[in-house]
Amino acid sequence: MRVIVRTVSELCVTVGTLIVLFVVYVLFWTGVRADRVMGDQIDRLQQRWSRGSVQPEPVATPRTYEPGAPFAIMYIPRLGSTWNKPVLEGTGTGTLKKGLGHYARTARLGREGNFAVAGHRRTYGDPFKDFPELRPGDAVVLTDGTTWFTYRIDKGPYKTVPTDVEVIDPVPRKSGYTRPGRYLTLTTCDPEWGHSHRLIVWAHLDSTQPVEAGEPRALRR
Amino acid sequence: MYGWIWRHLPGNAWVKALISLVLVLAVVYILFQYVFPWAEPLLPFNDVTVDNQ
Repeated sequence: MRVIVRTVSELCVTVGTLIVLFVVYVLFWTGVRADRVMGDQIDRLQQRWSRGSVQPEPVATPRTYEPGAPFAIMYIPRLGSTWNKPVLEGTGTGTLKKGLGHYARTARLGREGNFAVAGHRRTYGDPFKDFPELRPGDAVVLTDGTTWFTYRIDKGPYKTVPTDVEVIDPVPRKSGYTRPGRYLTLTTCDPEWGHSHRLIVWAHLDSTQPVEAGEPRALRR
Repeated sequence: MYGWIWRHLPGNAWVKALISLVLVLAVVYILFQYVFPWAEPLLPFNDVTVDNQ
């Protein structure tokens, strides 16, 4: 009898410890890891760019990005003056652990169409934790090593359901845009720790400038 | 369970304590390196896209 009671209580203590460890992993360790990986991705990009291997591409090429590889850095001043994240091609689970993910079948950065990007709300560095703070007029700045793209948010955060795929259409119906243009869509999950809904913001391309011209006004403090 | 392990570890109390510590660290390492990364995507925090890719 005593052996049974002891074994059961030992099992309970073990399961409790496991749960605590798992919570530590999800809340803390994924963030530590993601910050390191995202920093690496940004370093990789900046190294590639400083070598000057990025040429402004001819306007007509319908090239696609290399899946799983970083191709741009995003800055959103509203989420913090030090907030910057790499943008990778694809929205697979593994890709989103390393940064924000560009929906592969949406437009390229700065081009006609809808450049759609997904990011974690929580875990893996919490990139979009403060997503609900975004307001119309906020800047979303991206660089691909040759050009700065400044998008301005027009609508959002807009709450929808996960099956609402038309929010990343070239001209998203609920965004209020009526004609084709150069748009940006950001998506993340809502509620913070859940998966029942999605939060969306839409933005339009406001201005571009070559990197040689320095940081765009939206990033200057 | 833990008593059984303790009794079957070799050496005196100090050696046993040391081996236990190493065992605990090994288990934590395996959990963080292999088990939790496998279990975490089963939770909903990864669903941030609108097309369930």
